[in-house]
Amino acid sequence: MREHIQNRRYHVEIIPPKQDSEKLDADLAQFADRYRRVMGSGYCACITDNAMGLLAFQGLETIEYLGLPLPADQVMIHLNTFHTKPGLDEILGCGLRMGLKYLLVVSGDGSDRLPRLQPSDVGARGVSSVTSVELIAYIRARYPSYALGAAFNPYEPPDHEFDKMERKLAAGASFIVTQPIIERHPVVDELLRRYPRVPTVVEAWMTKKLYLLSDVVGYKIPEDAAYSPIDTLRKLHAWYPLCGVYLSLLGFKVQYPIVEKLWKNMPEASA
Amino acid sequence: MRITDADKSSYKNVWIIAETAGGEIRPVTYELIGAARGLADARGSIVAAVVIGAEPDASLFAYGADQAVVVNGSEFVGFNDELEAAALNHLIEKYKPEIVLCAATARGRALIPRVAVQTVSGLTADCTGLAIDPQTGDLLQTRPAFGGNIMATIRTSNHRPQMATVRPNVMKALAPDPSRTGGIVRERLPDGAAPNAKRVIETVRGGETGVNLADAKTIVSGGRAMKGPEGFEMLKRLADKLGGVVGASRAAVDAGWIAYPHQVGQTGQTVQTSLYIACGISGQIQHLVGMQSCGCVVAIDKNPDTPMMKLADIAVTGDLFEIVPALTRALG
Amino acid sequence: MKIVVCVKQVPGTSDAKIDPDTKRIIREGIKSIMNPFDLYAVEEAVLLRERFGGEVIAVSMGPERASAVIREALSIGADRGALLSDRAFGGSDTWATSYALARAVDTIGGVDLVICGKQAVDGDTAQVGPGIAAHLGFSQAAYAARVVDVSKNSITVQRMNEDGYDVCELSLPAVVTVVKGINQPRVPSLRGVIAARAADVPVWKPADINADVSRIGLDASPTRVVRTAPPEPRAGRTERVEGSPGECAARLIELLNARELIQGVHSSCG
Repeated sequence: MREHIQNRRYHVEIIPPKQDSEKLDADLAQFADRYRRVMGSGYCACITDNAMGLLAFQGLETIEYLGLPLPADQVMIHLNTFHTKPGLDEILGCGLRMGLKYLLVVSGDGSDRLPRLQPSDVGARGVSSVTSVELIAYIRARYPSYALGAAFNPYEPPDHEFDKMERKLAAGASFIVTQPIIERHPVVDELLRRYPRVPTVVEAWMTKKLYLLSDVVGYKIPEDAAYSPIDTLRKLHAWYPLCGVYLSLLGFKVQYPIVEKLWKNMPEASA
Repeated sequence: MRITDADKSSYKNVWIIAETAGGEIRPVTYELIGAARGLADARGSIVAAVVIGAEPDASLFAYGADQAVVVNGSEFVGFNDELEAAALNHLIEKYKPEIVLCAATARGRALIPRVAVQTVSGLTADCTGLAIDPQTGDLLQTRPAFGGNIMATIRTSNHRPQMATVRPNVMKALAPDPSRTGGIVRERLPDGAAPNAKRVIETVRGGETGVNLADAKTIVSGGRAMKGPEGFEMLKRLADKLGGVVGASRAAVDAGWIAYPHQVGQTGQTVQTSLYIACGISGQIQHLVGMQSCGCVVAIDKNPDTPMMKLADIAVTGDLFEIVPALTRALG
Repeated sequence: MKIVVCVKQVPGTSDAKIDPDTKRIIREGIKSIMNPFDLYAVEEAVLLRERFGGEVIAVSMGPERASAVIREALSIGADRGALLSDRAFGGSDTWATSYALARAVDTIGGVDLVICGKQAVDGDTAQVGPGIAAHLGFSQAAYAARVVDVSKNSITVQRMNEDGYDVCELSLPAVVTVVKGINQPRVPSLRGVIAARAADVPVWKPADINADVSRIGLDASPTRVVRTAPPEPRAGRTERVEGSPGECAARLIELLNARELIQGVHSSCG
């Protein structure tokens, strides 16, 4: 992960086709196009797992079905806690066979259509439900070759969130990805102060629709009619020169070519 | 069966199917009698309470029945759909009731469709209103459709009997009059009437699946704001004080804080309690359609502007984690 | 085991809007989905086939586009399906619908078990499952929460009711309706969806299932909807209560007492 940051390798979110898509072929073609483009730029493709509780096809299954390449350092799969135990082991086993290295482990958005991992599935004791902490510990123990990322939500009460981060890192997470931030965020600053050695990726919100961000982070984000994703991205690089950047909801037509030049052409950061 | 107008007069009287459990007559039976009484009076006919697999008692008459029709015997063990339907088919063929009402309970909703098909009768589920059309004498059956968003009125013009299941806690039981009496008619299940009847191996009362939202008078319900299973334990303490049961929104059930049988709403249970206390439930439409017909709705939420707080009869603004314990304490 | 699972296409209302004037659900733009309870029926059928072998056949009745729910059943494990679709079926109430589905089961032949969801979320009647059993003369168990045992000639299930549950043994063939929670329906895989998309879903007309045309459709339906209206709005204004937790509790008890919803409770703090 550190190399991603040093090599100015963006993390580009790609959402697999939805289960209830009425234009599955077109969605698959678009997924393949975007994926190949991210590979071509040398970036890391980040494939979500039922983002926002909307049922989508599994990232690995989609990559495999489309016959796409999977360079170990260029793909990160999100993995949430909404799986059966056999389903989870199938994903993790399949990832190993395909050469996957990076997993971003998240608690995830529920849906009553999805099974939930139970504490006994992941060998967790003394907890009533499985969160990313238990899932990280399970993968660390059973599938040690994966590099595991932990999510950080700076919008939650900080004491609680830092306590959870401590447990995620203790369980075996080796890098951090924040929720989208649209300004210099004091809680993220604090995160970087506390964990200077843990590679951290800040998430940039690449759509103007800020109300969607409120849904993602669970807290009301003040809406700014003039929100400019590209300007904000540029500022994020300046505020957080030692961090990687995850681009969520990136526009592939207009934004992608701009973004491709943006980080590359920025002056060297002073560490 | 399908009939012409000329046949209509051969079908008489209003029947209710007594709801029994473990030999006991359940309270919803008296609500059915209450509803039937009004219909029978409008038709100038009598109310008969049909008791299958149990014994009638004087309460049926006290609450307004004129007659009890009984089929009982050692073959009735537990709720046996096939046997009970065979018994009812036999009675209906013999006595030709004009109207048959049954409780919209797990038992009633399983039993009566079988009878309606076998006797070629019209059946309307889950009625909340029943009336006699003064012109035709037909039963007008009103029920919520589409999860409660529409009330549909349904008529069975050319078939008799006219059958309906009735939601518990909607119709009013009459005040009991112990001096009322009535006649008891006994019938037998015809031999070989249900050759493939099930065998009920055991009947268990209580347990996690036994949360009785449908029969409850009071529900204390929690949503996403309960934060976890501990929040529902707090609601349980209040519900116990009020003699009620705990309900939940889908969000809370999906989060795994409480089991599915507690879920109120479109994909859970539709309830109609006299008191519904919604704690931290914002009031998504799927939840509202499951509880909007409750008598008195109390909402407790820190946000005064949620759909639930607007719908409620009493809206309490504040921290439910303080108000619910305060209320529980104040109730003694 | 040869299992027929009955599925229904219903309007998905997870994003339903109510028209403020008519108080009705705005149906335009609402996606159709498989009745949520039917997912449990399909899953239970597939689980039984996985344990005991046999075949799962998904059957639905509806317009041609309802073949989507058959394909969804195929994508999560049903082996084949059929759609009853013809103008003559239109307007069927639960009597006529259960007759048509029973004819389909009879036409398939040799069926051991019919599984349905406990009810459809649009009609909420729960009448079609027992209705199918009645038309076929099968035994029935509604609101099954667990399949306890299956033998060559019988199935034993746990049924939920308001008081608890019971356990009963049905001789096969039988109809079982299932509640949410009996299993965890699997999510379709991409390959499953693509295979289901290419599958042949035959459309059956009344003649294909030897249906008596005097027993299907609107004319054969004993019940008739004569009027629809929005529900009565909740009467009265909202009484607002604010203040300290103790004040809120005291005021609430006062209000509930006035409505005779709690008896003999006098607030001790204020």
